[in-house]
Amino acid sequence: MTTSAERNVVQHGELKRSITTKQLYFYVVGDVLGSGIYVLVGLVAAAVGGAFWMAFLAGVAIATITGLAYAELVTKYPQAAGASLYINKAFRSPVLTFFITICMLSANMAAVGSLASGFVRYFSGLVGLPANAIWGATAVALVFVALITVVNLIGITESVVANVVMTFIEVSGLIIVVIIGVIALVEGVNDPSVLLQFTADAEGGSAVLAVLAGVSLAFFAMTGFENAANVAEETINPSRAFPRALIGGMLTAGVVYVLVSIAAALAVPIETLAGKTLLEVIRADLFFIPAGVMLVVFGLIAMIAISNTTLVTVVAQSRILYGMARENVVPAIFARVHPARRSPYVALLFGAAIVGALLVIGAAIRTSQGGLPADEQLDIVDRLATITVVFLLFIYALVIVACLKLRGKDESSDTYRANTPLLIIGILGNLTVLAYTLIDDPEALFWVAGLLAVGLVLYLVQNFFGKKKPPAEKPVGATPSDMEL
Amino acid sequence: MHVIVATDGSQASLAGARQFKWIADSREITDVTIIAVVSPYAAVPFVNELGPQRNPGQTDLSFLDEAKDTVDRVAAEFDGWGPRIHTEIRSGSPAQEIIRAAEDLDADLITMASGSRGLSRTILLGSTASRVQHSAPCPVLVCRPTPHSERALR
Repeated sequence: MTTSAERNVVQHGELKRSITTKQLYFYVVGDVLGSGIYVLVGLVAAAVGGAFWMAFLAGVAIATITGLAYAELVTKYPQAAGASLYINKAFRSPVLTFFITICMLSANMAAVGSLASGFVRYFSGLVGLPANAIWGATAVALVFVALITVVNLIGITESVVANVVMTFIEVSGLIIVVIIGVIALVEGVNDPSVLLQFTADAEGGSAVLAVLAGVSLAFFAMTGFENAANVAEETINPSRAFPRALIGGMLTAGVVYVLVSIAAALAVPIETLAGKTLLEVIRADLFFIPAGVMLVVFGLIAMIAISNTTLVTVVAQSRILYGMARENVVPAIFARVHPARRSPYVALLFGAAIVGALLVIGAAIRTSQGGLPADEQLDIVDRLATITVVFLLFIYALVIVACLKLRGKDESSDTYRANTPLLIIGILGNLTVLAYTLIDDPEALFWVAGLLAVGLVLYLVQNFFGKKKPPAEKPVGATPSDMEL
Repeated sequence: MHVIVATDGSQASLAGARQFKWIADSREITDVTIIAVVSPYAAVPFVNELGPQRNPGQTDLSFLDEAKDTVDRVAAEFDGWGPRIHTEIRSGSPAQEIIRAAEDLDADLITMASGSRGLSRTILLGSTASRVQHSAPCPVLVCRPTPHSERALR
């Protein structure tokens, strides 16, 4: 009671950061692994041929170099906004920053659509949905998106432990495939020379072009690492943790991808794998547990893996919208959060609506293409993955440029510094794949334009109808960064 | 006696802090620690409804700064009350971090708000408060938003 007379002084404690290097590593691995290989392996195999592991290798290489740039930038600016923040710091152009943010948002939406359609392929494999039931499959995808949205509305994705468990499940499925590959190699199922074969229809028979055709899709499998910036503020010792966790996580994912694609090529004929999922590898029945059981187990593993990555992608997407609403560039309604659950429900529902629209448009196009031969019809997984990749390649290239442009600024002794020649190779790599993707699949541009138009509409709505009041109140923590120092 | 006042940035949590101040005897309390928890994996890691709802600069939104602003605003409620006021920002799962803070600080009481009024809010009501009640190492004062507490806000 003697203390009651003391001066009332507020003593600031430091932030107790919670995310360790190990947790960050699992976050990166979990986020990267679920996204692509489960969904896209068949499409990449179809594009390249038996040597499709090379496409994954090239994708991994370009993505990891981009990861180096992210690692450098995130140690300089450990804030949640990621690419938009770096572009803003480097170019100081509000229009470019807005454009990049919209690109990021669109990439996330297309990725969710692609993942949802990939989920349906495994779901169909499990329950025996006929492959030509376009609207049936779309309905399942829509329900999947709705469920993921509800999970995020309730906000049960926040557990660190759940994240690590999910990552282990994701890896376990891929380890099964690798084991099958080893068995196939020992038993001599396919001649190992298949690993150097390219599809006949690669133009001019050039191996480089064949690999390039697969890289843009394989690249989708590496995306997701940029979400690591989301947790930058809460990471312990970010300048040490990020380079290790980000690069370590991406290399881990890369090694797994290359091994899985080699294993798949050894276990089943490429014609069987082409356009299909990893379930084909299980169906080959080389594992010591009967294929009937393994198909169910693997199907579930794959669906969990895809769900996990979709959850993280939806979180990232709603956070971007929330951030834009708080920054006054899209209508303020997107910043609304549920009073009890603290989730941005308007942003989540809007994102789900756009993804749903993408899926329905895709289904409508495929219905109208009924007369076309199967390989000329729209593949919704392929198309949405391509759109994601187009947006991301552009963003990644620009992030590396931003990284080089910001050299010498805001650096401290423990800032991580990426290798400059590697970064230049990274810019060229990203742009080469981007150019090839657009030449190969120009129709993707319509979808890209459509998604950008959504962003433009939001911007115009805000500019014409939004209240342009200056902040009514000076923030109390006007110089919060000073408090931290 | 050391009291933890937890805030999630909501008006309800501010009302809860005021209710606590009204209930408690400041002469018995030596220290008050205002705690906010940032959840890194959540869609929105921290929502500050007490401060300005606009961020003037593009890409400057920092959930950490939002949390700092919130604890400062709640701390301001206790200006001149008597006890030493501390603020702390933790990162992780809110319920778990509030409990850990109570253990670390050897707190004698945790005070926090739970959910808000309305049917949907009652069904979905703050799982954080109920989880803290289950495993806290000390008594927990849960302030329910009532017409009375909302009057206190004005």
